[in-house]
Amino acid sequence: MDENNLIKMELTVNGEAVSMIVKGGRRLLDFLRDDLHLTGTKEGCGEGECGSCTVHLDGQSVLACLTPMERAIGCSVLTIEGVGSPTNLHPVQAALLDEGGVQCGMCTPGMVMSALDLLERNPDPTIEEIIEGISGNLCRCTGYKKIIYGIQQAAQELQAASPAGTVKESVE
Amino acid sequence: MKLRGIGVGSMMYGLGYGFARPDFSTTDIELAPDGTVTIWNGASELGQGLQTLLCQLVAEELGIPYEDTFIITADTGRTPDAGPVSASRSTYVQGNSALKACRDLKKPMAELAGELLKTDPDQLIFKKGLVQDQNEPSRSISFTNLAGGMHQRGRRVRGSGYHSITTGDVDKETSQGDAYATYAWASQLAEVEVDTETGQVTVLRLASATDAGKAINPKMVEGQIEGGAVQGLGFALMEDMKIEQGEFKNAKLSTYLIPTAADVPMVEPLIVEVYDPTGPYGAKGVAEPATIPTAPTIFNAIANALGQRVRFTPATPEKMLKLLGKLEEKEEQITIEDMPYPEP
Ligand code: FES
Ligand code: FES
Repeated sequence: MDENNLIKMELTVNGEAVSMIVKGGRRLLDFLRDDLHLTGTKEGCGEGECGSCTVHLDGQSVLACLTPMERAIGCSVLTIEGVGSPTNLHPVQAALLDEGGVQCGMCTPGMVMSALDLLERNPDPTIEEIIEGISGNLCRCTGYKKIIYGIQQAAQELQAASPAGTVKESVE
Repeated sequence: MKLRGIGVGSMMYGLGYGFARPDFSTTDIELAPDGTVTIWNGASELGQGLQTLLCQLVAEELGIPYEDTFIITADTGRTPDAGPVSASRSTYVQGNSALKACRDLKKPMAELAGELLKTDPDQLIFKKGLVQDQNEPSRSISFTNLAGGMHQRGRRVRGSGYHSITTGDVDKETSQGDAYATYAWASQLAEVEVDTETGQVTVLRLASATDAGKAINPKMVEGQIEGGAVQGLGFALMEDMKIEQGEFKNAKLSTYLIPTAADVPMVEPLIVEVYDPTGPYGAKGVAEPATIPTAPTIFNAIANALGQRVRFTPATPEKMLKLLGKLEEKEEQITIEDMPYPEP
């Protein structure tokens, strides 16, 4: 990699405009974690297998470890830091905690981002659809059951709160 | 053809290190003037729920709300040695040392309460935020006020608990003896489907019963049981550790496959509670006991389906097809020929 390969990253991250000159030719994951210090996005494998680096790029879920950072220029990125806050959790986060779907937490940010993506497209998923929606996210601790039920619980809550609304509204 | 089978697997597991190997823990606890307590324990929280568990035990023992407990774990500058988090020993050893730390702290607290209430400290119980004379319930003081009083008078506000489950060794000659401080038990039941065309083994249902002694936090115990079973399923059907000359050849998630949500059934956890008199409030570890029986359970179910024993792990589609004679033998099959399994 060319050490002098500086590029201008101009984009929106979690609703805030970002403009930075940084070393180019790296992954979106590196830009988020190393340059913006948004370490909620995890690197589980770095090769597109585990889903722990899942973020949303213009509303689409992508693997930040396989996405070149340049790809995000001019785009809007949503990471786990932009979803709820410790005192005001997003219903998906609250439901995962409530159900016991979080153990070590390594998979959790990616799970939440995949769940949000799923619920955005399909606000009332069946268990099979939830399983499919998170089948790209590995979890070594929970056995998945409590995560699946957590997402189902969140879906029901979100549906009850705004039957016609979308998940987006509750994303900060 | 799709063949179905049912299998059972059971295990017995010695908790902790056993065989006279050092196995101990120390927990410290400190009372703040506002009645909250901070717990120090050297074991690490890996997501298994140790911090929650210790806070629950301490809250119960001191009769205070869970919210009034704080915990610091695995800080080598401040936490006493608790030994490693392994051998499914944490609940059992850390839990006991935390209870002992509470009892150590309760001594000076009961002394002061006895002075203030003009009663016998030995008759005082700690319950529902009160320190109370069990014979004369009207004589009581709130835990919070007592904590303030302890600090005002400069009394001892720290407690420490040491617990060892180090056992004796077994007989050197005969290997007979009681090697462990206590034992855990677990049984699992699985229904599998073997597709003889593709070699795919699918676990349709998996129930796991684990003896927790006493489930201090049932939801966390379920989490251990469900997660353990899924790891065991991976070991049985997918996880193929390739080691050559001591080196892992597939140390990547793209080459070492572990179960995804689509590969596993919804594990049905069954918590069995057989009070263990040596455990904290009767509890013991559930981590490894929840993982160990899974592979034997699945292999028994496969044998039930095929009428034939599978003697290798993992039972991947490729290896299963070879076994069923549907694929050319390319590489040497890993078999354990002389394992004394009964034929189904
Ligand atoms: S770190 Fe990106 S998929 Fe594992
Ligand atoms: S909670 Fe540990 S990997 Fe999912």
